[in-house]
Amino acid sequence: MTLKADWPVINGPVDPDSEERLFFTEHEWETVEAATARIIPTDQDPGAREARVVVFIDRYLSGIDYVYAAADGSGFLKMSGRYADAWRARMADMQRTYREGLRNLDDVSVLEQGGIFKELSEEGQDRVLEVISGAPKPDKVTLGTKEAVTTFLQGSFDEGLEFFPALCLHTKQGFYGDPVYGGNKEQMGWKFIGFPGPKSLKDTMDGTYSTHEYFMEGEFDWEDLVPQLKVSTFRDAEA
Amino acid sequence: MSITRKPEPVDAIVVGLGANGGTAAKVLSEAGLKTVGFDRGPWLRAHEHYSGDELKFVNRDYMWPDPKMFPRTIRYDENAEAERFPFSPTPQMVGGGTNHWAGWVPRPRESDFMMRSLHGDVDGASLADWPFRYEHLEPYLTKVEWAFGISGIAGADKYEPYRSKGYPSPPLRPTRYGKRFYDACNKMGINAFPIPHAMVTNNHNGREPFNQTSFWNQYGDPSGARSNILTTFIPDALATGNFEVRAESFVREVKLGKDGKATGVIYIDAEGNEVEQDAKVVVLALGAIESSRLMMLSKSSQFPDGLANGSGLLGKNATFHEYLFAVGLFDKDIDEPLNGWTGNYISGGSLEFYETDENRGHIGGCIISASQTCHPVNWVFPGRPSWGDALKDADRNYFNYAMKIGLILHDLPVESNRVDLDPTVKDAFGLPVARITHRPHSNDVAMGKWQVDKNMEILEAAGARKTVPVYLDKMTGNTCHQHGTARMGTDPAKSVLNEWGQAHEVENLFVVDGSGFPTATGVNPTLTMMANAWRCSDYIADVYSKGRKERLVIAN
Repeated sequence: MTLKADWPVINGPVDPDSEERLFFTEHEWETVEAATARIIPTDQDPGAREARVVVFIDRYLSGIDYVYAAADGSGFLKMSGRYADAWRARMADMQRTYREGLRNLDDVSVLEQGGIFKELSEEGQDRVLEVISGAPKPDKVTLGTKEAVTTFLQGSFDEGLEFFPALCLHTKQGFYGDPVYGGNKEQMGWKFIGFPGPKSLKDTMDGTYSTHEYFMEGEFDWEDLVPQLKVSTFRDAEA
Repeated sequence: MSITRKPEPVDAIVVGLGANGGTAAKVLSEAGLKTVGFDRGPWLRAHEHYSGDELKFVNRDYMWPDPKMFPRTIRYDENAEAERFPFSPTPQMVGGGTNHWAGWVPRPRESDFMMRSLHGDVDGASLADWPFRYEHLEPYLTKVEWAFGISGIAGADKYEPYRSKGYPSPPLRPTRYGKRFYDACNKMGINAFPIPHAMVTNNHNGREPFNQTSFWNQYGDPSGARSNILTTFIPDALATGNFEVRAESFVREVKLGKDGKATGVIYIDAEGNEVEQDAKVVVLALGAIESSRLMMLSKSSQFPDGLANGSGLLGKNATFHEYLFAVGLFDKDIDEPLNGWTGNYISGGSLEFYETDENRGHIGGCIISASQTCHPVNWVFPGRPSWGDALKDADRNYFNYAMKIGLILHDLPVESNRVDLDPTVKDAFGLPVARITHRPHSNDVAMGKWQVDKNMEILEAAGARKTVPVYLDKMTGNTCHQHGTARMGTDPAKSVLNEWGQAHEVENLFVVDGSGFPTATGVNPTLTMMANAWRCSDYIADVYSKGRKERLVIAN
């Protein structure tokens, strides 16, 4: 039994340009590539297709060898014991969700639009996604309005998700996650959004990567920000 | 299963090595007690295992409990069947929630210890005073601030009660959204200040806080910046030579002897063997959900309803502090970027609205703070479109042009809000999991609404062009704060623990986490919990272990 602290590193970073398929069939690969390109479309900026989201999802679904990158991004952690058992069971469910979901996507496409999903026009594909999501295509966010929402947990784990919500979540993950996982090719998701991410995960471990220039600019005095300090009787020596 | 091993007895066992168990381990081992600490999760090495990987830390539960191994269930109605849900998923590992936390560590207020005296009977709630007061905790708040390492500016919080010493570290530089928050509050006459933070920005205690990545809330920190039990109190305890860590070891029962005292614990080690460890004192610190669950799993003829549960209150009066907030969006074409992903989660905050003002239509109040909107995959924008051009536009336009102001809901204790054993769902060890039954008190809903609306006003004063409020609907446990399941009090009929965290009915069983909190407080609870754990551990080492007994009398 290897303790979690001692899980070895296997594989290497995923090559985003790989055409090798570890989980999807060729047809599934092409269908996922088409569908994710409707979730994060290509416009004046690159989208899911250019960022190689399909490679990211294929590796994730291939088993449990691409779940956790090594801390420094040199490869992936080889899980063992109960952790591995839990992930294997979860991944088997997610593989089934994708296989059945993709089959259903084509069935709905044929029924609604007279052809399989990957061969439809973008408008036709959007129509099919509306049908399988059970809701109209989301409206653009506009300023000057108020909408209330209710509470949710931090983070979002994919256990138990149905096909379309899983595909949306995984598309965002593949577009914006660290490139070690195979998506976000050349950090194009980060560049698009204006996030100056680290060159490598290793740079986040040793002080190489710093974000301080993105904090408040210029000189400042705590007494200006916190006027209470001008009248306060207690201040630390160091502050 | 049968017992395969029985190691030498020790002086003390600590179950759960998070904020509170780590504090107990340090105090007990430094006092000379031979102590063994158990954690069901791993013992990771921060400098080797932690980095800025959003998928691993935020989406794939590298530190959060695996919901297949340790499920929980929730129901919002007494008569409903509970559903699986990762309610209040605090990391279960050496260091516990201090591995992933943002680290808000404000001090509690004097009023937090006397809610019953201040408000009397409140319909539907079960308010109780604490069996001690702020003044009893103050020396321990200071001890934790200095030993653990907290940054802040004493005197900046206008409403803070007496403190005997300042902070060991100055705060982090403000973020851009923090600056917006300060300016808006100053315009509105609100006392905003840098919220005390469980991190150091200097070399306090020889630490090296080189992490400036802004990968903070929910991520592990590979540097010495974050105050994490894993990298502070666990090494302190090990340095005494009196402490041993047994990680990936699942304690499934506290054993009771014929004399009515706990004899030790039975646990399943990493290899799957069942092992029995005896000790003179058993200290529980698994968090209010899992500590009460372990006591419920430890049934005996003397305690058929759970260990030390003669009062019948075990698991009841649970409070969870839902995190509510409002997000403000700014206009990319006009406004300066806010870089909401920067900083170590928290920036400025305020306790301006903490004390009761009956004009608001509710009692109590809570802390508010401007905080990070986090990283690209999961950035916090409620109402973020799920797919298509709308998603892409929203990310492009607002990722760097949003800020949020949150609050920690000071929820009232309600006896029927509770933890018990789920009748059907089992964990990876075949044991019944914790089931949460919860329905918010009307005061919780009212406080949440009032404060979220106030936060929107502040956002508007800060220049937000659109605000999105997140109100309380039902509890999800999204703060990971847990309290109340084994109330402290002086009357054994109305509480499970006494003022030292000692079970009324089992004298060598102590619970030193949030389980003992009679009420939730309106601040992030970890500093209060750790100070209390230190206080109770001092009692174990200096009084109980020496065969003596003391009572704390509150002067009126």
